[in-house]
Amino acid sequence: MATTTAKPNIQIDDLVRPMTTEEHTAYKAEQTAMAARQAEAEAKAAERESALAKLAALGLTEQEIAAL
Amino acid sequence: MATTTPNYGWPVPTSTDLVKDGATAIEALGDAIDATVFGLPVAGLTLIKTQTIGTAVSSVNVTSAFSATYDNYLITVAGGVGSASGLLQLQMGATVTGYYYQYIYSLWNNSILVDAFTTGTKWLYMGGHNASGLTMHCQVLSPNLAKPTRVTALSSGSLTSDVGSTNGLLNNSTQYTDFTITPASGTLTGGTIRVYGYKN
Repeated sequence: MATTTAKPNIQIDDLVRPMTTEEHTAYKAEQTAMAARQAEAEAKAAERESALAKLAALGLTEQEIAAL
Repeated sequence: MATTTPNYGWPVPTSTDLVKDGATAIEALGDAIDATVFGLPVAGLTLIKTQTIGTAVSSVNVTSAFSATYDNYLITVAGGVGSASGLLQLQMGATVTGYYYQYIYSLWNNSILVDAFTTGTKWLYMGGHNASGLTMHCQVLSPNLAKPTRVTALSSGSLTSDVGSTNGLLNNSTQYTDFTITPASGTLTGGTIRVYGYKN
């Protein structure tokens, strides 16, 4: 399978150009970090939803859960 | 016999008025215009810069956005599309450290979540992007003053997944003139960035 070496474009006012190698390296690292952060946030949200469901299963009303 | 203009009622001569009265008529008209213009309210928000986003760009740097003319600004993004769904990030000048940030949000339900950091490389959740469009509404306070810069934004990460408010602080005294908007993933195509200045 062919792979592409094309770097994404960046824009400075009206000038659009490909990233330099240095910019591309920083961009890839940032994308990786963002993906990890996004996954962490989604996991946190899922944990909260799970905790709220357990509280509801214990018999707490929506108002009681909201008051916590 | 003099008549008046239809909107402001400024006195103007008619074609049958005597030429010798022309100077007096011009003076009366000038005085009336002067009185009207002097009393007009001054716009509180001035469009400073409009930047069209190019095709498949992974960041957009907008220069000459902030100056000594205004202390506070509004940045909006509208139209266009994102190649992926995600959040829009904001970076000031070349600064890539020291961003304080807090995003108070929900997944479009009644459970409140918070995301925050004090050592970021840029501000997250300043807007959102997906295949249906780009959106950003962000106020930037004191970016060109030798004071800390603050931002407040109404955000929805990928438009439909979450929604909330973002607060940000850059605790330095750098006087910024430019900013960069970056999608968290994918690229942006089309759409318009507008920068407005709040009257001092």
